[in-house]
Amino acid sequence: MEWLTPLTALYAAAATLPVLLLLYFLKLKRREQIISSTLLWKRAVQDLQVNAPFQKIRRNILLLLQLLMLLAILLALAGPILSLTTGPSRRFVLLIDRSASMSANDIESTRLDAAKKQASTFVESLRGKAFFSLRDESDQVMIIAFDDHAKVMCNFTSDKHQLHSTIEAITAGDGGSALAEAIVVAQAFAQSPGTEGNNRSAETPAQLILFSDGRIRDVDQIVVGSGELIFNCIGKSPQNIAITAMQARRSYEDPDEISVFATIANYDTEETTCDVQLSINDNVQAIRAVTIPPQETSNTAVTAQPGKVSIDFSLSGVDAGVLEVRQLQPDSLACDDAAWAILSPPRKLTVLLVTAGNIVLESALKACPLAGLELCSPDEFDSMDFGTISVEQPYDVIVLDNHIPTQLPKCRYLVFGHPPKGIDVSAPEQLENQVIVDWRPRHPVLKYVNLMNLFAAKCFKMTLPRDSETLAEFGQSPALALVRRKGSIFLLAGFDILQTNWPFEPGFILFCYNATAFLGMQAGQDQETNLRVGQPIIVEGLAAETVAEVSGPGFSGNEIKANAAGPIRFPGIDKVGVYGLKVPDQPLRLFAVNLLDLQESNIEPMREIILSGQAVQAQDNPISRSNLPLWPFLVGIALVLALLEWLIYNSKVRI
Amino acid sequence: MNRTKTDAYRRRLKDLLDPDFMARLDSLDVLSHKILQGKLQGERRSKRRGQSVEFADHRPYVAGDDLRFVDWNIYGRLEQLFLKLFLEEQDLTVHILIDVSASMSLGEPAKELFIKKLAAALGYVSLVNNNRLTISSFSDGVKGQLKNMRGRSYIGAMAEFLLTSGCEGTSHFDSSCRQLVAGRIGSGVMIVLSDFFFKEGVDSGLRRLISRQYDLYVIQVLSPEELAPELTGDLKLVDIEDADSAEITISGALLKYYKRNITAYCNELKEFCAHRGAAYVLANSADSVESLTLNYLRRIRLLR
Repeated sequence: MEWLTPLTALYAAAATLPVLLLLYFLKLKRREQIISSTLLWKRAVQDLQVNAPFQKIRRNILLLLQLLMLLAILLALAGPILSLTTGPSRRFVLLIDRSASMSANDIESTRLDAAKKQASTFVESLRGKAFFSLRDESDQVMIIAFDDHAKVMCNFTSDKHQLHSTIEAITAGDGGSALAEAIVVAQAFAQSPGTEGNNRSAETPAQLILFSDGRIRDVDQIVVGSGELIFNCIGKSPQNIAITAMQARRSYEDPDEISVFATIANYDTEETTCDVQLSINDNVQAIRAVTIPPQETSNTAVTAQPGKVSIDFSLSGVDAGVLEVRQLQPDSLACDDAAWAILSPPRKLTVLLVTAGNIVLESALKACPLAGLELCSPDEFDSMDFGTISVEQPYDVIVLDNHIPTQLPKCRYLVFGHPPKGIDVSAPEQLENQVIVDWRPRHPVLKYVNLMNLFAAKCFKMTLPRDSETLAEFGQSPALALVRRKGSIFLLAGFDILQTNWPFEPGFILFCYNATAFLGMQAGQDQETNLRVGQPIIVEGLAAETVAEVSGPGFSGNEIKANAAGPIRFPGIDKVGVYGLKVPDQPLRLFAVNLLDLQESNIEPMREIILSGQAVQAQDNPISRSNLPLWPFLVGIALVLALLEWLIYNSKVRI
Repeated sequence: MNRTKTDAYRRRLKDLLDPDFMARLDSLDVLSHKILQGKLQGERRSKRRGQSVEFADHRPYVAGDDLRFVDWNIYGRLEQLFLKLFLEEQDLTVHILIDVSASMSLGEPAKELFIKKLAAALGYVSLVNNNRLTISSFSDGVKGQLKNMRGRSYIGAMAEFLLTSGCEGTSHFDSSCRQLVAGRIGSGVMIVLSDFFFKEGVDSGLRRLISRQYDLYVIQVLSPEELAPELTGDLKLVDIEDADSAEITISGALLKYYKRNITAYCNELKEFCAHRGAAYVLANSADSVESLTLNYLRRIRLLR
C-alpha cells in the first residue's frame, strides 16, 4: 500500500474537515411555528430522549456518516495504491524508440504513442516512495529515447510525476534506429547512483526495457547480458510504401533541363499501384501511376527485400525551387511518402584571368559558357584591393597563369605554373619530360578528359600537404591537385601550359570547362542542400556572430547565431521536410531533409531481435499494471455512504 | 333605538348560534345532579321546604310558626299541632367559565369560536329555562363577568359578552379560580370550557372549583392540530402565551411520543375529574357544536 499524493489529501482534509464540523455545529435555521403550548412538546422531547438511550449517537449518525464519506473522499484523493509486487526495490531503464518507423499509425494513433502509453503504465506500476513506511522499497527508472542517437530524457528517479512528464515529452523523430548507443549509455548510467543518491547501483543491475518495433539497424553491435533486456514489440502491420531514393540533376548539355529520379519501394506482400506526384514549389507538375511489385518473400524475414520500382521525370524551363516527389497512396508511415530536392539556379561564372599574355588559355576560357571573362596583368592583379575581392567576391574563379601573387584573397583559383606561396605547397625543383601516369577520370574536374597523351617538357615537382587531393600524376610529381586553404580552393596544375602539348589536346578545353564549373560550383554551393535526418545544417562563410532564422516543418523563426569563426550550425533536424535558413541581406537558403532509408521504411514489426547471438523474444502481452489503484473503491464507498445518509435522514424525517 | 340594538344582538347571536339550533335548544334544560338551593323561587325542586303546591312532610308546631301552614285536619283528629311542609321549587345557577387566554385563538377551526359557540348554546339553554346564568371569562385572572342573568332578555347581552371578549394574555388558572370562587354565590352547575394547557397544572384550580354546591363539568376543547399534529422538518415551536420555545426535529418517534403524551394528559384530567365527581368531556374543535350539545351533553346528563 502506498500513497501517490498524500500531501494533496492532507491539505484537502485540513480545508474540508473543520468546515464540515463547523457547518454541523452551526445551529440549524429552524422554521418557527406558533403553537398553543409547548408543554406537551417538551414532554414528548423529554420522553424521546429518555426512552432512546442511543439518542445522542442517533442524532449524530448523520455527522458520523458525513465524516466517513469525507474521509473516504480524502483517502481517494491521497491516491492509495495496493502494490501487488513485493521484494527489494529495482532499477529499470526504459529505452523508447522514437525513430521514423515508430511514427507509423498502424496501431492506435502512432506506435510511439502506444510505446509511451505502455511506458506510462509501467511507471504507474512501480512502487513509489512509501510515505508511511520506514523501508524504502521504491523502484527507480531512467528513460532514454533513441533514434540515430540516444538521448537521456531522465536519470534514475522514483518520482512518478517526473517520469510521466518525461515520457510525455518524447516526440517522434524521423531518424533511423540505432540502439547500441542507447544501451551503452544505459549501462554507463546504471553504474551511477540515481538522483536520489542512495548507492544501490552495485547490488542490482538495472533491467533494460525496450519499447520498439524491433527494426534496429545496429543489432550486431549491441552487447547485453542474458535476460538483461526485456523487449516490448509495438506495431503490427508491415504495409508501407516509401520513397527510398530521389535525385534531381541538371543536364550537362542544357542546364534548363532537369531529370528527377526516384525509387519507390513497396513493403507489402501484395502488388500495389500508387500515384506518384512531382511538384515544384508546391505546383504539381506531373502525376504518374506506378505499379510496385510485392515484397520479395524469402526464408528469413531479416533479408526480405521490398519490391522496388524506379521512376524518372524530365522537366525543362525550371529555374530554381524545391522539388518534391510524393506518393499519394495513404499508408502507415507518412514521413517516407515524400522526398525533396533543392534545385539551385544554373550559374554562369565570372572568371578573372591573370596572365602576362597567354593566347591559349584565353581562347580556351572564352570557349567556356561564362558570364564574363576579365583579363589583367600580374601587376594589375597585385595592385587590386584584395579585401574587396575577399568580401564581395566579384569573381567566381581566378585563373593564375605563371604568377605568384603577393597575397591571396579568398576565392577559387585555377593555378598554372608555380603554386602560390602560403598554401603549404612547395615546388623546389623543376622536372623535365614528364608524362601522365595516372589520373582520376571520375572526378568532376577530369570528366571526359583524357590525359593519356599529355606530355610536359617542364614541370614543377610539387610537394603537397596531406589533406590535398591529387587528381593526376606525372611519373615523379603530382600533375593536378586540389588544395583547400584559408577558405580558398586551389586547383593546381604544376606546369606552364605552354610547356606542354595539352593545348593541342581536345581534353584541354574540357578541362577548362570542368575546372571552372567545378570551382564555380564550389563557390555557389559551399553547402550541401540535400541532407539526411540527423545531419546538421551547416552554412559557412558568414560573418562572425551573424544571426540567422531557421524555419522547417512544424516550426519557424528559430534564431541561431553563428559562432566567432563564422559557420552556422543547426543540429536540430529530426524531421523530414524542407528547411529554410535566412541570413539577413542574403537569399533564403533551402535544405531538403529526407529519410531515404530502405531499412527504416521497413516498418514490419520484429517479434524477435538477435542481440549478441541470442534471440530476445518480444513480450507476449503489452505491459499491464501490477498494482491496484484503490481510489475508485473509496469513491464507491463514499457514494454508498451518501446514499445511506440520505436514507437515514429520510427515515428520521418521515412521519 | 332599542329595536335596532336588539337587532344587532340578534345578528351577533346568529354568529354563535343559528336559529335552527336555537329552536332545538329550546326544548333542553340544564340538569343538576344535586338538588341545590336557589335564591329565588324557581322551577325546580329545592331541598328547602317552602311554598309550593307539592307536599313534602309534616313536623310538630313550635311557637312562632306560621299558623297558615298548620294542618288543621290532623289537629282535628289528634288535637296536636302539626305543620305542613311543602317542597319549594328554586332556580338553578349555571356558571359558565370560558378560557380566553391567547392559546384559545389557535387551531383550525379556532378553539375560541368553538368554545364561544358552546358557551352560547349552554347559556341559551340556561336563560330559556329561567336559570340564573353567570358567564365568566379568564386568562391570567377573571377578565370579565356577566352575573345573574335570568330570562330570554339576556340572550343578546350574553352574545355581546361572548363576542367581545378577545383571546389574549397568558393563562393562570389557579389564580383565576381563586378569584372566581371568592365571588361565587349560590349553587348550581359550573361548566369550565378550556384547552387545559396550563403550565402550572390544572389540579389546584379545579380543586378550588369543586364544592358541594356545584356540579362541575369540565369540557376540554382541543384543535385537530393538537390532537394529531401534522408538522415536518426542523422546527422552533413558540408558545403563543409566554413565548417559550422548543426546538424540535420532527421524527416519527417524536410524534409518537407526543400523541402518547396528549392522550395521557387528557386521561389524567379525566381521571382527576372522575375521582372528584366532576364530569369530563373532550371536544375536538373540528366537531360541530350542535351534535356535541344535542347528543353528547344529553348523554352525560348535563342537559336534558
